[in-house]
Amino acid sequence: MATTTATVGITSADLTPGMALGISATTTLYQTGTTTGLELLDMGAGKLTQASGADALAEALGTVDTSNYVYLCNNSTDVEQYIKIGIHDTLIGNLGSGEWLFMPWNMGDADAEINIEAEASGTIPYEYAIFKSTFTLPAKT
Amino acid sequence: MATTNASITISSDITTNPITISKSMVMHKFQSNVGLEETTGLQAKKFAATTAVVIVENTEGTAGKSSKVYIRNTGTSNEDFFYVAFNASAAAAATTETIGKLYGGDWMLFPWAATAATSHDITVAPSTTDAMTLEFMVFQE
Repeated sequence: MATTTATVGITSADLTPGMALGISATTTLYQTGTTTGLELLDMGAGKLTQASGADALAEALGTVDTSNYVYLCNNSTDVEQYIKIGIHDTLIGNLGSGEWLFMPWNMGDADAEINIEAEASGTIPYEYAIFKSTFTLPAKT
Repeated sequence: MATTNASITISSDITTNPITISKSMVMHKFQSNVGLEETTGLQAKKFAATTAVVIVENTEGTAGKSSKVYIRNTGTSNEDFFYVAFNASAAAAATTETIGKLYGGDWMLFPWAATAATSHDITVAPSTTDAMTLEFMVFQE
């Protein structure tokens, strides 16, 4: 059984004056509702351009309503460039240059793909990793 | 200007050659190098019903500005979880979009598009009537 852990640290000495912020948390990623570690991984890197419009980073090809986790980082250094992150037709948020996200993804239904779209001109490099409970290969065409 | 740092470390032996992802970011205003300056502060809320509850209303953010949201299930259960979604309901269906499920110990940090509409209220729904606690914090311009 594989073991995958994700640790976050959030710190700020001056966001709340007189009360330094320090958050630290670690979780082990398990298959849906179990203590069995995830065993499926999809990771990679790519480049986005504004002209390409919205693209599916990952289709919801696994079992509906399961435990999956998404890491995505915008590796651009240009502050004008950001990546719009969505699940199907819903905009989740804008990932600025140098920023990352980590979130669960339950593949709530077949139309729950993770999509990404570059904004502002130029090319945006990104990297991602998706840890999955289940995955079904796309049908042969 | 405040400086808020967030780091992530993911370690996994899913693949034959173990992987480690390590990234840090500074939370900036939208298309800017200026740090975020506002926060809700770290909040904790105990739940003991499966009713969906809005934990962050869209009116707490500003459309077109940068917002980040940190949420963590402080429990230890591998069976009980919180759905996290946009809109008034957090079930797998009948909501604007369900993002995913946070089991005990799971956390998420993601950019939030506060689009000034209830479609982007952040909603959670526990899977059980057993007491579970969620902690969350919003960082914004």
